[in-house]
Parts: sequence; structure tokens; C-alpha cells
Amino acid sequence: MKCEHCTRKKGEFHKLADAKIFLSDCLACDSCVTAEEGAQLSQQNAKDFFRVLNLSKKCDTSEHKVLVVSVCPQSLPYFAAKLNLSVTDASRRLCGFLKSLGVHYVFDMAIAADFSILESQKEFVRRYHQHSDEQRALPMLTSACPGWVRYAERVLGHPVTPHLCTAKSPQQVMGSLVKDYFATQQNLPPEKIFHAIVAPCYDKKLEALQEGFATALPGTRGTDCVLTSGEIAQMMEQSDLSVKDAAVDTLFGDVQEEVVRRHEGAGSDGHLAHVFRHAAKELFNEHVEEITYCSLRNKDFQEVTLEKNGEVLLRFAAAYGFRNVQNLVLKLRKGKFPYHFVEVLACPGGCLNGRGQAQTKDGHTDKSLLRQMEGIYADIPVRPPESSAHVQELYQEWLEGTDSLRAQETLHTSYQSPERCTASLDMKW
Amino acid sequence: MKDSLVLLGRVQAHPDSRCWFLAWNPAGTLLASCGGDRRIRIWGTEGDSWVCKSVLSEGHQRTVRKVAWSPCGNYLASASFDATTCIWKKNQDDFECVTTLEGHENEVKSVAWAPSGNLLATCSRDKSVWVWEVDEEDEYECVSVLNSHTQDVKHVVWHPSQELLASASYDDTVKLYREEEDDWVCFATLEGHESTVWSLAFDPTGQRLASCSDDRTVRIWRQYLPGNEQGVACSGSDPSWKCICTLSGFHSRTIYDVAWCQLTGALATACGDDAIRVFEEDPSSDPQQPTFSLTAHLHQAHSQDVNCVAWNPKEPGLLASCSDDGEVAFWKYQRPEGP
Repeated sequence: MKCEHCTRKKGEFHKLADAKIFLSDCLACDSCVTAEEGAQLSQQNAKDFFRVLNLSKKCDTSEHKVLVVSVCPQSLPYFAAKLNLSVTDASRRLCGFLKSLGVHYVFDMAIAADFSILESQKEFVRRYHQHSDEQRALPMLTSACPGWVRYAERVLGHPVTPHLCTAKSPQQVMGSLVKDYFATQQNLPPEKIFHAIVAPCYDKKLEALQEGFATALPGTRGTDCVLTSGEIAQMMEQSDLSVKDAAVDTLFGDVQEEVVRRHEGAGSDGHLAHVFRHAAKELFNEHVEEITYCSLRNKDFQEVTLEKNGEVLLRFAAAYGFRNVQNLVLKLRKGKFPYHFVEVLACPGGCLNGRGQAQTKDGHTDKSLLRQMEGIYADIPVRPPESSAHVQELYQEWLEGTDSLRAQETLHTSYQSPERCTASLDMKW
Repeated sequence: MKDSLVLLGRVQAHPDSRCWFLAWNPAGTLLASCGGDRRIRIWGTEGDSWVCKSVLSEGHQRTVRKVAWSPCGNYLASASFDATTCIWKKNQDDFECVTTLEGHENEVKSVAWAPSGNLLATCSRDKSVWVWEVDEEDEYECVSVLNSHTQDVKHVVWHPSQELLASASYDDTVKLYREEEDDWVCFATLEGHESTVWSLAFDPTGQRLASCSDDRTVRIWRQYLPGNEQGVACSGSDPSWKCICTLSGFHSRTIYDVAWCQLTGALATACGDDAIRVFEEDPSSDPQQPTFSLTAHLHQAHSQDVNCVAWNPKEPGLLASCSDDGEVAFWKYQRPEGP
């Protein structure tokens, strides 16, 4: 965020900085966060969370809510590093802590990422086939990062938005899973559930605000509150409750005894790696063993290619951080875009480097912590989304099939393309 | 001191608008001017007078604030309030816009080419400084976006020989940047000015940096390398920059520009009191605590604020200036003789 050190001329962003809300560089301009949103963002904090927890303990049962917390996969290495535990033990400790506060269910979000990746895979293949008729079908740009998506919608607009993958982000899918599927299973109206997410960054707080909720009752959001890993860690430090470790719950009403798993990739949700493998198989019948990443201009811009007999069949890239986002846009505008697919993230270093966990007090990256988290994340076993039996069950039970209209409506979104705002004042500068 | 700065000629460069900035090409044969009329004009000599050789008019939607020539002289970059930076390629008297750099959120205030010719820096009211790299095929890529300043950044300038960048801001500071691994970092913040710093100029050796400000002073900063004889403390392997001289009491309004002649070492200033001044370092002064004397003071150099002064890189003493009145003036500076 650009203004955390400013002492003069307090504008909207300074209020966010004062409230210790640090959005990515992509969201730093005035077009991206309105004053109203700024105020709402400030309310998503530990205080608000405790307020809801306390209400659920009081006598007035009409105020009681079923408290659900979902944990992002990139947050777990932070807790593992901070608590000096294995990832699975850290997950159990975190779950135990949340339950000791009064949270009823704690979920792992890998299943939501499974859906997001599977839908992205299908969409990429579809776009690839469409490309001969429809130029704008490719490149496909991922849309799991809310900082990037909002920048694309509000600042970049039309040349970019048709390229955004319409598959919902894991956070948005989780919102639907909790407030629609889980609510139905538990015979609860969605507004009786308070859904909080533990995330590595502040941008996801913004995502929770704007995300609509297509299938169920209007006026209910998929996610009610996002707390950063750092905010939760602080709550843990300040608490003197005795904590009993507990296994996380599953959406099917039992507990998950298996070890924590992740998707492939170094700290993103894994879209690039899994879409690449799927596309190689579906389009060219190639089975990819190990994916080789080639760093280009800087370590946050990497390329992955599928070659056969000297010909490049697929060219994918990962672009993280504001400067690399700019370079992507430059290439798109010029019409000289060399990639079929780009995984875009607002934060250099990926989600593990989110400002909600890897930042020191003065706003710089804690490099040793980041390296530690990267090591921890890399050691987590990978499970591809295709191999999840639970996901297949849900497609049938909840969404009436993998290619149903309901699946399309629930798991996909669309993007706005407002007109670009140009300043009209010609002041003496 | 009266005849040390003599007028050679004036041209109405940007009719009915401000002339914001001037830049001589490396050969010293052409002068580019830019202004509030959204145009860039290229001036050259024809006999004794200065004539307009080209007008670059289709590049920008709003005021052009600064222009800068590439070290090879074949390209001109222009920074505009329309939030873009245009790169123009010179083909004899014609200029063609080959690239438009976008990305800044609002008005671009300055653009500068690194001496290597491969890097370009821009800065903006959006508080950021961007470093761009250009390759052999004239393709530009953003290398770094630096968010160190807390306010509008007014000016960027490169060191004459090292890959070091300096920026000046409305936040009253000057910041210095260098490359680190695959990114750029701010390694020093020069504090001392009491108001907006408008412009910067390195001396011919790059040892010293001059800054000018709304606080009506010019400050001279000196680079001290780690292990220096004077015992100036440095942090790690980065040099320290200390203010070794402050020129105060000479200017009655904001100083908008400062230019350090690479041939003679003379320092020229452009002031909001419509005057142009020239300073020279006293030859006998201590290099660690130099003193500068005012050797020229031309009142009413223009009828309004002087926005820019620029020394010709090949002809000693040839100075160009421009003003809010839209005019460009050419001057001959001669260091005053005498006791």
C-alpha cells in the first residue's frame, strides 16, 4: 500500500492505514476502494468477530448464529512457522483455539480450491477451442486474486476483462459451499450462519464485501468476515484460554483425520500447474511429469512451456506483483501477447507473502519468515483436484452434475467493465 | 555582474500557454520545448536565429510537463499530465511516436534517460517512481515501481555515470535509488528542505547533487563512500549523502529548476520571481564546505515565473530558459572578470 508513512494530507487510504489495513499495490488508487467500502473493511476485525461470538453465548437465541471458520491453505504455513509445529499440528491447534472461542465448525478450504481449479481447467480448454473463431477467448488470465481482479475491473477495464477466467475464486466457492450446501445439510437458513475466513491478505476482506450470492437468498453474503493470519495470531497470543487441539471438520458432518494437503505450485492456489497438466492431456494427449518454471525478467515472472518436436504447443506464465501486472497489460495493449494462460497475483512472492502474514511492523517483508513458510508449504503433500472423491460427490449431490446449469451458475461469475475515469481538471502542477 | 548574462534572442514557443520545460539534445544542436498547449517543439539555429524545426502534436491529451533526449540523441521521451509517457523516434526532422508508456494513475511529472540508454525513469503525482527497461527492439518493460515518497514526485534525474537514480518530491525530500537483485530499492533519503523540492541536478563528476525548493534555497549534497577520509558514517555498503552547502537569501520566490553546467560547473536557477541567477563555486573554498558566489542575477528575465533553465552541453555559457509566459529565451553567460 502506498501511504502507510504519510503524515500530511489525510485521504481515504490514510484512514485504512491508520486502521492497519494494508491492501496490495494493485488497489492503491482512488478508483478501487470507495469511502463506504473503506468503512466496511475497517469493521472486519477481531472486535467484530468477538462481538458475534459473544452474541451467540447470550440468552437471546434469536441472535445466535452458527459460527463457521474456513482456513486458506496459504495461512497454514504461517501458523506452522509461528507456533513451531508441523502443518497438520498447527491446523489442529488453530482449530482447537477457534473452537475454544465458541466457533462451531472449522473447515479447510482445499475443497473450494478443487472446484475453482476444475472449472478453470474446463474453461481453458473451451477457450482454446474457441480461439480460432473468437480472438478474445485467449489469453485466459486467472481471477482468484481479488486485488488483481478489482484492478482489472476498475482501472484496466475493457481490453483486459474479457480475458478473466469466469470460474469463481476459492473464497467465493467456499462461501457458496457454506451458505448453500452446508446450510441445507444442517437445515439452517443461510442468514443463521456467520462465515469467517482466515486469509493471508487484506484484499480478501474487500472480496468478501463485493461478492454477490447468486443461488440463495439475496442479502446474504457468502463470507461475512475475513481475518488475516496475523490478526488471528494476535488473538491467540492475547488469549489465556487453555486450548485442546482438534481436528478440522468436513462439510459432510464428520471430522477430517487425514493430513493437510495442498495443490501444486509455490504459494498460489495452484491454477497454473493444474490447468497446464489438464490442457496438455486434453488438447495434446501429453502427460506432464514435472513442471519446469523458467524465471524471466525477475523471479516473480515465470514461464512454463509444453514442447514437442521443437514446437511450442502451450506457453503459460505466472506474473506476480504490480510491475509484472503492468508488463502483462503493456503486452496485451500492443497485441503481442505470447501466452495462452497467465496466473496473476497482486503480491510479489505469491500468497504466502500476503500482507496479512509476512509483513513486519514497518511494512517490509520478513524475508526469513517468508523463506520458512515457503519451505513448509513445499513439504505439504500435493493432491490433484481430480482425485477428490468428495468433490465428485458434491457435483452430483449439490450441483446436479458437472456440466449442469446449476454448476455453471454457482461456480462462475462475471466481470464489470466500467468506463475509465479521466480527471478533467487542468490545475497548475 | 551586469553584463554576465546577455540575451541572444527570444521565441514565442507555446502561444497562449505555459512553456514548462526545455531539453538540449546531446549534440547541442537542437532544443526541445514542451508546454500547456500539449505540444512539443524542436528548435534549431538558422543563421543567427532560432527557428521551429518540428512540432510534435499528436502525442498527448493534456499538458506536456517534461521532455528528455536519449543519450544517443535518436529518441525523445515526453511526460504528460494525461498520465502517459511517449517515446518519439527521430527521423531527420520528423518524429514518430513509437511507444506510449502507461500505468501511472495520474499526471506524469518527469522522465529521464539513464546514461546507458537502456533505462528510463518516470515519476508522478501518484507518488511513485517507475523504472523501465528498453531492449534492442525498442520494446519497453517495467522493471520496478517504487513507492517510497509520501507525496507527489516532481522530478527524476539519473547520475551521470553510475546506475543511480534521484527523485524530488512535494514531501520535502530527495530520495536515491539503486538496483538490488532483480528490483530497485531506495537506499537514501535526503532531508533538509522545508518545502517541496522541485528539481535536481548532478555536478559533472556525479559527486555532488544540487536540489532546489519552494523554501527558496538551493542545497548542495555530497556523496561519501564507506571508509571515507572525512569520517562520515555510512550504513553497510551504501554511500551517505550529506548537505554541504545551502544557498539562501538569494531567491525571493520558489525555485523551480536548477541546472549544473557539465562543461564549466556553473549553477543556474529558474525562479518564480521571474529572474535567472547563476552561481559559481569559489575556487579557494574547502571541497567539504564549499561556498558559491552569485555571478549573474537577471531580473525580469521573463515576464512571468521562470520554469526551466538548461545549459547547452557543447557550447560553454549558452543557456536556454522558459516561462509561464510561453516564451523561450537564449542567453550567453560569461563569468565576470575582475577583482
